[in-house]
Amino acid sequence: MISLRNINKYFDDLHVLKDVSLDIKHCETVAIIGPSGSGKSTLLRCINELETCSGDIYYKMKHKRDYDTYDYRSKFGMVFQQFNLFPHKTVLENVNLAPSLHQRKTIGANLLNQVGLTDKMDIYPKKLSGGQKQRVAIARALAMDPEVMLFDEPTSALDPEMVGEVLEVIKSLNHMTRIIVTHEMGFAKEIADRIVFMDEGKIVEINHPRELMANPKHERTKQFLSKVL
Amino acid sequence: MDFSFLDKYAGFLVTGTLNTILLSGSTVILGLIGGTVLSLMKLSKVKVLEKCANVYIAFIRGTPLLVQLYLVYYSVREMPMYLAGILAMTINSSAYIAEIIRAGIEAVDKGQFEAAKALSLNQVQTYRLIILPQALKNILPALGNEFIVLIKESAIVSVIGLHDLMYKVDTIRGLTYKPFEPLIVAAAIYFVLTYSLSKGVGHMERRLKTSD
Repeated sequence: MISLRNINKYFDDLHVLKDVSLDIKHCETVAIIGPSGSGKSTLLRCINELETCSGDIYYKMKHKRDYDTYDYRSKFGMVFQQFNLFPHKTVLENVNLAPSLHQRKTIGANLLNQVGLTDKMDIYPKKLSGGQKQRVAIARALAMDPEVMLFDEPTSALDPEMVGEVLEVIKSLNHMTRIIVTHEMGFAKEIADRIVFMDEGKIVEINHPRELMANPKHERTKQFLSKVL
Repeated sequence: MDFSFLDKYAGFLVTGTLNTILLSGSTVILGLIGGTVLSLMKLSKVKVLEKCANVYIAFIRGTPLLVQLYLVYYSVREMPMYLAGILAMTINSSAYIAEIIRAGIEAVDKGQFEAAKALSLNQVQTYRLIILPQALKNILPALGNEFIVLIKESAIVSVIGLHDLMYKVDTIRGLTYKPFEPLIVAAAIYFVLTYSLSKGVGHMERRLKTSD
């Protein structure tokens, strides 16, 4: 469904993505793990054009450049580490902002119901807990009716006790293609069809979660896993 | 102190005050529009636009309003006074307002731009729905300050003969041979104008704080 071919990204002199290629199938859940600075977030951000990268991205066999920019972006729902809710809009207004929404009120309300926040609809994001904010952010991304959900360390900014509620919501989206950058190894193992391990801008190893966690093939993967598991 | 001239010349003061309000009011609106455009030019990725805005702002901030007023007034033959007044004040204030708005936009978290982009909003929607409302909240105190300065500086247009409050007061001073008392009245009226404005801005600030 998504094919990344020879993706390269530089921040000035820093080569953060080195010739990365990856294929993601329809309805597949891929978790990307790796140490900080390995380029996993950048790779995710290249997919929906938050970063401009060189290389080719094909979506449903069609090159990214052959799509209308806004049409292309609307296929990817993005959830950020820092939530990035719009503070001057209420929860419902946040969700209803997605331009592709037509029957606005009902869909927004339904999505908030889906993430369990019906009662918070009319308050401002500032009054929410971290976990609630992230659930609103997920509902907001879903309001675009995307085909793929991108999660950029969705639980890293949360208090430990809030992590569960957000992971539950992510888990419930099992009918969608999901790409998740995460440090939650247990969650990655549970939810992912495949885990991608990245280091220093390269994909070191891709495998099924159990396989990768039990028998990492590369020295670097072993080293990393021994520290985080 | 003798304020007996007030009976006879109250009409003068009312007209003058209305003209001052009209002049400052139009300048506030036009200056906001001009300032927003200039600040977006300054933040634009198109280098030519950015350069133009920089030169404009540097020039306007580096020259006296009085000189700008004369330049505008004498730029075209038979330039109407009111047009010259509004134009000069707008040209001047939009440079200052542009800098205020730019600072406000830059203070908005980068994540807000990214979230808007990820929601596939276009540039115009992003600024109109997400960025400018937040920027406005940040800069309201500075903007209110600028508008107060603007009301006070509008007194300068009396030098080209525009019948604003200051001009009317000068007229009264000449007609009554009282150089002092009319100035007290002028000061009082200017104070009432600026004080109500700052109260109004304070009220707006509180209203925009509902999301905090």
